[in-house]
Amino acid sequence: MTAAVLVGVLVAGAVFLIVQRGLVRIALGLIMLGHAANLVLLAAGGMYRREAPLIDQIAAVQTAADPLPQAFVLTAIVIAFGVTVYLVALAGAGTGDDTEESQ
Amino acid sequence: MTVLGVLAVAAAVAPLLARWWGRDAGWPLAAVFLVLAVVIAAQLPAVLDGEVVETSWPWIPAAGVNFALWLDGVGWLFAMLVLGVGALIMAYCARYFGRTSSQSRFYLLMGIFAVAMLGLVLADDLLLLFVFWELTSICSFFLIGGTSLKADKPAMRALLVTAGGGLALLSAVTLLAVRTGTTQLSAILADTSWLQDGWTGPLVAVFIIIAAFTKSAQVPFHFWLPGAMAASTPVSAYLHAAAMVKAGIYLLIRFTPAFSDLALWNVVLVTFGLATAIYGAVLALKEYDLKSLAAFSTVSQLGYLVAIIGIGTSYALAAAAIHTLAHALFKATLFMMVGVIDHQAHTRDIRELGGLRRSMPVSAVLTGLGAMSLAGLPPVLGFYSKEKLFAGFLEAGGPGWVAPLAGGAAVLAAILTFGYAARFWYYTFGGQPSDRSDVREAPASFLFPPAVTALAGLGLGLSVPALRPFAERVVADTGFGAQTVEIHLIPGLTPDVGMSALAILFGLGLFLSRERVDSLLHRRSAPTTGDAVFDRVHATSLAFGRRVGDLTRSAAPPVHIVPAVFVLGVLAAVAVWWGMPVVQPPEPVVRTWDWLVIAAITAAVLGTVLVRNRIAAVVLLGVVGVLLGVWFVLLGAIDVALTQITVEVLTVVVLVLVLRRLPVMFQRVGGVRIGLSAALALAAGGVAAVATFLLTGRRELSPVSEYLMTHSEEDTGGINVVNTILVDYRPLDTLGEVTVVGIAGVGILALLHTVRLRGREDPTPSHRRWSPIEDPWGNAIVIQVVGRVLAPVIIVLSLWMLLRGHNANGGGFIGALVAGAGLCLAHAAAPDPRRSLVLRIPGVAVITAGLALSVVTGLFGLLDGSFLRPLHADIGAYHFTSALVFDVGIYLAVIGTVVVALTRLGVPHPPTEPTREPPARSGTRGERDAQALPPTALDGHDPGNGERAPVRRGDSATEPGGEQ
Repeated sequence: MTAAVLVGVLVAGAVFLIVQRGLVRIALGLIMLGHAANLVLLAAGGMYRREAPLIDQIAAVQTAADPLPQAFVLTAIVIAFGVTVYLVALAGAGTGDDTEESQ
Repeated sequence: MTVLGVLAVAAAVAPLLARWWGRDAGWPLAAVFLVLAVVIAAQLPAVLDGEVVETSWPWIPAAGVNFALWLDGVGWLFAMLVLGVGALIMAYCARYFGRTSSQSRFYLLMGIFAVAMLGLVLADDLLLLFVFWELTSICSFFLIGGTSLKADKPAMRALLVTAGGGLALLSAVTLLAVRTGTTQLSAILADTSWLQDGWTGPLVAVFIIIAAFTKSAQVPFHFWLPGAMAASTPVSAYLHAAAMVKAGIYLLIRFTPAFSDLALWNVVLVTFGLATAIYGAVLALKEYDLKSLAAFSTVSQLGYLVAIIGIGTSYALAAAAIHTLAHALFKATLFMMVGVIDHQAHTRDIRELGGLRRSMPVSAVLTGLGAMSLAGLPPVLGFYSKEKLFAGFLEAGGPGWVAPLAGGAAVLAAILTFGYAARFWYYTFGGQPSDRSDVREAPASFLFPPAVTALAGLGLGLSVPALRPFAERVVADTGFGAQTVEIHLIPGLTPDVGMSALAILFGLGLFLSRERVDSLLHRRSAPTTGDAVFDRVHATSLAFGRRVGDLTRSAAPPVHIVPAVFVLGVLAAVAVWWGMPVVQPPEPVVRTWDWLVIAAITAAVLGTVLVRNRIAAVVLLGVVGVLLGVWFVLLGAIDVALTQITVEVLTVVVLVLVLRRLPVMFQRVGGVRIGLSAALALAAGGVAAVATFLLTGRRELSPVSEYLMTHSEEDTGGINVVNTILVDYRPLDTLGEVTVVGIAGVGILALLHTVRLRGREDPTPSHRRWSPIEDPWGNAIVIQVVGRVLAPVIIVLSLWMLLRGHNANGGGFIGALVAGAGLCLAHAAAPDPRRSLVLRIPGVAVITAGLALSVVTGLFGLLDGSFLRPLHADIGAYHFTSALVFDVGIYLAVIGTVVVALTRLGVPHPPTEPTREPPARSGTRGERDAQALPPTALDGHDPGNGERAPVRRGDSATEPGGEQ
């Protein structure tokens, strides 16, 4: 339930930003969409087991959080960072529409 | 079959031979062809006895496709044509080309073509046949297009038409394979039960016909063949007269056992074949260029062959086989002689030739033999083959009027053929000698190959009854069983002999009244040409493609996003309407703290969306990310939370570095746009929320995760399961992901090398009135002091995070991100961004070193049987694993990317090309003007001009630099 609400909020915010003009807002929207996607992945592992998956610290295997989606999300975050940096470089380098309306 | 292998080897070494011996490479190649032809010829007794030589290797066993070859009577005929004519053409090439020109490419392509053509006629597997079929088209394309710059259009036409036919062939092959369950050609032809299957038979027939018509240049696809004459003469003689265009004929003969009784097959082949025969002959009669004349003649003769195959009786097939042989011989002769004439007289235009019989007597005789065969004069082979054709046409089935009509049309084509054959010879060698006294007879070595084909035509004509067993074999192999085919040297008074006499008589008349015919023909011309129609269709289809592409070519994101979101919504609605089983989660999911985090995140998201100040939006987005990290902690995803929070820090830093250069505010957005965006956003959010709610987190721990949780320690020695997944269980994924990150770093470098960052270059503009309170560096004193102390500590911390990753929260990714945060701090703490220590780190080298380290470590895994498999060793008390080295590689690659981002985005001018840049503070205005001036700088894509180019003239007015 909580994950669903949060995914909804993040997706809505992301879509709103992405359909705007200007690469910076699109980049921000994509970052937000990345958050939402990561959350969906984590939610797929189940939200009711919440012990960190460190073998020597868990009470039982059944109460530990699912490590597989965590590994996916971890790398996804780093990849999203790489993509974001590149997008931002594009926004800064291009002669795009971001600067058409200066302050 | 070794023949094909030897030929392939010969093709492979052909360029080497051509490099050593130049044009003379044709001789050894001809020798190879000749030997192989003898090998094939030696199979003749066996083939005549009805034996089928077969070999087969498994090729794609899963699909039941074999590299299967067979040699029966039909295959033997075509294989002999490929190798025999090929040998002569190769020998001819050795004298045709200039002494000095390099012919490596030519000999290689000719070799490949010969392999493909031989494979095509020997293939006993439809898929194999198709591959060779396409290979011949491709060789033809390169051989036509390689000759001159003007040849690209004809080459493209030839390729598109023949490749289009190739698609038809593929369709036929697929249909047959699916229907019969095998791709073995002989099996499909032996058991034709698929013909009874409603539409399969006719459909396959249509596809086969299209394939054959395109390859063999039948109306309406005939136009590519005359265009293909742009290729050099040996190519025309081999590919476009003797071999490749015969592939269509081969295909039709091959499928005769299946289709000879199909009315569709008979009607289409006879109609189009005879139309092509007449049309090609008329065009040949109009032509002045000897080579084009020969090309139209080929079109016409191929029409004959197609039509006679369409008749579909045993006698007709015998005629087709004999005429295929005759045509290959006389057309090769004529083409090679065209090359000889062109060589000696330096023109192929019959208006400039004439009377050459005195200076080139041998050529005159050889060409005469070829032309006689073409015209159907006794006693050359062409006479007998044409007589058989006539007899075949008289056997046409259907209503009573069909046979006389077909026969009449055939005679008409023959009359025209006689006319242009006579023209060919007379205008070149006959008539008054032109003032070309300089023309000499060609050397014997040059005339030898055409002499062989011309004399072979004569010899076979004189010994024509010897062809009888061979013709009977072909008839038997095309599904008619053992039949006798009567072939006599001196034919009796039969209708077909009468038709031949008629054709010769009227042909003679046509030749004698040649001036009237010429003027008549040139008064009329076709309303359009095949080339023009083809070009129009081609251009239209390209334009259509561009129109379709335009639908998605927009750079505006809504064009791409709105349809996707819309479809998503529709799918969701459909799914809900359909109803799906929803499982209850095993335990309650929600904790009270969750709601607090969610409320905070929602507020931050709203803020990010609504603010107009760019920096504020970025900071608020950072808040979203950090809060998300907090929630990850609550969810037990400590590693993910660490990653999330450090990435968030770095993202905000990088964003701010770039945003300094952009206007402070986002553009203003109109109310309508806001409304529409908001509606779309709410819809998408709603769908995502419902889907997440209904579809996730409603099951127990998956078996995979359970395995990981219980076996991780004994498998890898690691306790942190998330980290062991990254470096031990799925390192290939991780390597791919870290490569993406590294590429992003390299991408920034490449991007900013060609397109320079825009906007304000320096955060401390000199025009501002100086006061201690406004001094930016003075205000940053806190971060400077803190940074200088903390940055090294953070770097050390990151190393610790890296090393402990296997057993506690941490690892390569997290360590690198922490180090990145430290580097950001060090960079911000530097008194001048251009003297920051971070700039001394070679970012790309670090990325490369990291990736290389990971890959090399992975290679050691091969010792244990698999790329990237971790190795373990106990050194004293310490348990060493190569997974740690792999993780170090990841650490370096990610750090490298962070460094690149900082150094490229975080300084006024990137550090690597300082000498080419004017001083930053003094020259901004003048530098920009200089950029706008040279017109070459305006295109902005010349890498050599890279750092100066990107600012377009129109943009300089809006640049913030104007604020002075």
